[in-house]
Amino acid sequence: MLYKVLVVDDEAPVRDLLNDLLRREDCKVTICGSGEDALEMLKKDVFDVVLLDIKLPGISGLEVLKNIRDTDKSLPVIMITGFGYNEDLICKSKEFGCSGYIGKNMPVAQIITTFKQFAKNAKNGEKPAQ
Amino acid sequence: MCPAIKETKEMLHELLDNAGVTVIYLDVDGKIIFCNKKTEIMTGLKHEDIIGANWLQILYRGNNNIIKQDMFKAVLDECVRHKREKDFEGVILDSDKNERLISWNFTPVMVENEQVTGSILIGHDITKIREAGNSAKSIDQTLKNILSSLKEYALYVINLEGNITYFGMGSEIMLGWNRKDIIFKHADILHDKEDSENNLRSILEQVKLFGKFEKETALVTKAGEPVAVILTANKFLDSNGKHSGYIFIAKDITERKKLEYQAFQAEKLAALGLLSAGIAHEINNPLLVISGRSALLMQEKLGQKIKDDLELINSQAERIQKMVDRILKFSQKTKPAFGPVDVNEAIEFILPFAQYSNLPDIKIEIEKEFAKDMRPVKGDLHQLQEVFLNLIINAYQSMPKGGVIKITTSNFNDLFALIQIKDTGLGIPTEHLKDVFMPFYSTKSDGKGLGLSICHNIVKNHNGSIELESQLGRGSAFIIKLPFI
Repeated sequence: MLYKVLVVDDEAPVRDLLNDLLRREDCKVTICGSGEDALEMLKKDVFDVVLLDIKLPGISGLEVLKNIRDTDKSLPVIMITGFGYNEDLICKSKEFGCSGYIGKNMPVAQIITTFKQFAKNAKNGEKPAQ
Repeated sequence: MCPAIKETKEMLHELLDNAGVTVIYLDVDGKIIFCNKKTEIMTGLKHEDIIGANWLQILYRGNNNIIKQDMFKAVLDECVRHKREKDFEGVILDSDKNERLISWNFTPVMVENEQVTGSILIGHDITKIREAGNSAKSIDQTLKNILSSLKEYALYVINLEGNITYFGMGSEIMLGWNRKDIIFKHADILHDKEDSENNLRSILEQVKLFGKFEKETALVTKAGEPVAVILTANKFLDSNGKHSGYIFIAKDITERKKLEYQAFQAEKLAALGLLSAGIAHEINNPLLVISGRSALLMQEKLGQKIKDDLELINSQAERIQKMVDRILKFSQKTKPAFGPVDVNEAIEFILPFAQYSNLPDIKIEIEKEFAKDMRPVKGDLHQLQEVFLNLIINAYQSMPKGGVIKITTSNFNDLFALIQIKDTGLGIPTEHLKDVFMPFYSTKSDGKGLGLSICHNIVKNHNGSIELESQLGRGSAFIIKLPFI
């Protein structure tokens, strides 16, 4: 198994797709549809990486990240968003301690490559590139 | 002397002494034989000092203005010689040595055989009347000067028939008419006849109904172009207070309108930007699913036809993806990395890229006129290059039969770098000029209509301005102003 991943996205077709793509990469994937559920799952289980959508109903992805960082400074959290390459969101995510940032506007192959690269860097203790 | 004659003489003396005029009787040699009280008061001399003295010495004593004395004498001589009355205005000194302007009436005194025995001088002090007249003239002149100085205001007056009776200098400047060409023409030509609410007839009706007219409207220049104005019209009363016409005052608000339009445009673009970002986000999610699923399916063992169809789905999804990216780019307020940018170098750098957009069989010439020693502007080099690239490509595409692109840079008032990109292409109809910076507006069949709106956003983020001037069939010119560091 490459990574044990928690995928958080409120849209079922998107999280199912990410689930399928990551499983093909030999990841063990758990999916959930809200920030609240994600925080609950993180209490119950241990993950190698969290792939976290920024725009979520209820607690936003950025708030979930902030919550995670309150207790865990090292868990790799990669933000993913439909807003594409958005400087404001990238800055905010970095400020809150994300390990990487992926736009849903990337081709799927690139999404997976980028995910793997960020996860690897985070595991090695590297911070996301400025 | 018989009492009756004595009484008459006394009465005449009394009459002359109380008259408000100077009365002097001279003999043929110019010696004063008689003078009334007013003469004594005016000269400050006693009666006995006046009688027998030469009149010029009395009236011009202490005043060595020979010319005035000679003129005075010449008029009197002429009056005596030609034996007729003469009116003359002349200045003399009063008892306090102040100049008084006197209107003189010289009348020769003739005996029965028409021989002149002397002359009578009746002088009326008109100093105050003239001063009042002068101040009225001076007020008149001041008003004329004020009206002439109001170059930003078009002021014109029409009579009750609607003919122009006054056309100020501001009107000449604003409306392009020469005063002499428009005076007595009907004022209809200055107003839009088609505009039912603001044509001359409607304006005059409103003045009659409400006492005045005040509204933002447009006047028409000699060339037939509209000028945005705030127009005030009131009844015009003559010096007797009689309604004799109408007075119009118009303030040119073209610049203000332009700024209002730009602000409105910017607000609209900002709102549209927000909306676009939201829409783009909603599109990106299902699009990811479509492209992701089709990509995954393509890895399965499937027939060639299905694989080809999946390929098509994938490539079309990618096409939408690129479009969404452009929309997101437009909507994002990316923070420019500001630094000193040499505008001339930035344009030079992108020119070769822009030239790729030119088809090989179309002859397009580039003319450059770059200001020397141009100060750097404060900007993001890449963003500004994107603006110049977009505009130059735009110029190329507007000349399908070839032409000239002229790029000039200059210093505008030591505040802005002025960049002009002119082409000799198709041009844009006037009614579409206001839309060119709106997203999704395009004259090209394959255009996405985002290029110019992105340029507009970038220039605005640089605290600059971008305008388009265009004439259908003659070409367009983009005018950009970017503040110097």
